Amino acid sequence: MILETNNLTKMYGSKTGCSDICLAINKGQIFGFLGPNGAGKSTLVKMLVGLLFPTSGSALVLGQPLGDLEARRKTGFLPENFRYQEWLTGEELLSFHASLYKMAGEEKRRRIPAVLGQVGLGSKGKQKIGSYSKGMQQRLGLACALLPDPDLVFLDEPTSALDPLGRREVREIMLDLRSRGKTVFLNSHLLSEVEMICDRVAIIKQGRIVASGTMEELLVDTVEVEMQAEGLSPPLINELATLGRSCSVNGGLIRLTLGSREEIPSLAAAVVRSGAHLYSLQTKHNSLEDLFVNLIQGGGEIDAGSSPVDH
Amino acid sequence: MLAVALLTIKEVIRRRILLVTLILTVVFLALYATGVHYGYPDMVNHAGPLQGLMAAQFLALGLYFGSFIIAFLGVMAAVGSISGEIENGTIFAIIPRPVRRCEIILGKYLGYGLVLSAFASLFYIAVLVIIRWNTGMSVPVRLGALGLFCLQPLVLLAVTLLGTTFLSTLANGVASFMLYSVGFVGGMLEQIGHLAGSQVLVKIGIFSSLVMPVDAIYRKIVYNLLSAPGVSFSAYMMGPFGAGSEPSVWMLFYTGLYLLFFLAMAVRVFSRRDI
Repeated sequence: MILETNNLTKMYGSKTGCSDICLAINKGQIFGFLGPNGAGKSTLVKMLVGLLFPTSGSALVLGQPLGDLEARRKTGFLPENFRYQEWLTGEELLSFHASLYKMAGEEKRRRIPAVLGQVGLGSKGKQKIGSYSKGMQQRLGLACALLPDPDLVFLDEPTSALDPLGRREVREIMLDLRSRGKTVFLNSHLLSEVEMICDRVAIIKQGRIVASGTMEELLVDTVEVEMQAEGLSPPLINELATLGRSCSVNGGLIRLTLGSREEIPSLAAAVVRSGAHLYSLQTKHNSLEDLFVNLIQGGGEIDAGSSPVDH
Repeated sequence: MLAVALLTIKEVIRRRILLVTLILTVVFLALYATGVHYGYPDMVNHAGPLQGLMAAQFLALGLYFGSFIIAFLGVMAAVGSISGEIENGTIFAIIPRPVRRCEIILGKYLGYGLVLSAFASLFYIAVLVIIRWNTGMSVPVRLGALGLFCLQPLVLLAVTLLGTTFLSTLANGVASFMLYSVGFVGGMLEQIGHLAGSQVLVKIGIFSSLVMPVDAIYRKIVYNLLSAPGVSFSAYMMGPFGAGSEPSVWMLFYTGLYLLFFLAMAVRVFSRRDI
């Protein structure tokens, strides 16, 4: 495992940042970490890169405990709230970070133009960062993260300041990293982006992981059902909630996530048996966005594996 | 550590902190030199038997305000060196690199410390040269006194660096200057106590020197320079800018421990802090 966390927990006083996070990520994957604002995504990443200290639990990054300097030499990180020394040029910033990575002179001279070219800033390296647009600064941050040719790279919202073309370029960089056996830990709000490139996903809600698995496991193994009915009684709503992995009721509109198609007849039977009038029942194409919205707005948990650990 | 120190020096230069300070220092020194040039002869004519004190008085005045300016530079340069970088987010990309947090603190201390020491040395020599040219008083440079002159901002720098690890930039600025003021006012009271024979004021001064020893270092410098061979008057007679008694070697030892304590606490607090 290139990254493994065991009941990793961060409390801010009595408030939960993350609770009992158990993840295990293999080498050569793009791992998507999703959740609404304030759910604990950045808290987890900040613990893994050494900005926050866990309240309890443990983690291994590249096989080493948190804070190990050797592991950090092969780890890259692009923070969400990126800001760099505006009085430096792009090349000077990279040179500073190369010194922090203890890179030798020859390696510095080779890697700095390479990463600047990789993120599309090849000709802008001699400009002051203060003159960069927000998108260029994000590209520069990505260059810093890629500077040591890391085995594991944490990207916290790496495309938030980029235009569609820039987002595509960053996706290509992530795919290229994966093709070279590198691992990407991607924090993102952009569900379509995650769906497009991630091998595995975990969704966090109120500090706890509520779903994890491969994209196929999470999307194919569930069925979205939408029903229109009248005369819904509280016992029926409770029964529907137990049948579905997630359930939301809005007037006569019921949305459910089921484990398989085979559960649909029992759903219809429950409605009819209760005396409610069923007007329509249709299955929907299940996208990551549907799953995300159901999990965050509704309830329930999905674990595609046999344990909370994502293998 | 060296990378952080070099970046710190680069920051002081690039953000024009050093340039502005140098320009204003030149203005200050020009004003000071003009004052000594025209004021000294007039004061000597009116001083009667105290005329021998006048050049020393001007020397102490230059060093006193020099200490103040350098202390101001030290605090202002380092006041947001950690808190400001947390507030604007630049530190998020630095801590996850393969560098210990103590290296970040010590690198910043080294960077600011080198700039402040270089600046303090130039200032010290400039004051001595101005005094010599305008009054003819020859004061030996004395490396010990020069070292102590450089030590003043280094003590304040350690205090400011501790503050910036856990206080906001503004709160740290207020706290550092208040602490500096304790030493500053306490030192004045102690000198007045010596002149007026008030043991209470002297004790207040000693207590304030323990809280903030920078002023005691200044008194040591003045005593050291004005008790040089060939100088025929006592630092005691210099009033608030003089030194009624020479701070002991134990005071210097205490100052060293004080500096190390604040630096160690800055490392400790920063190393355990969530960012």
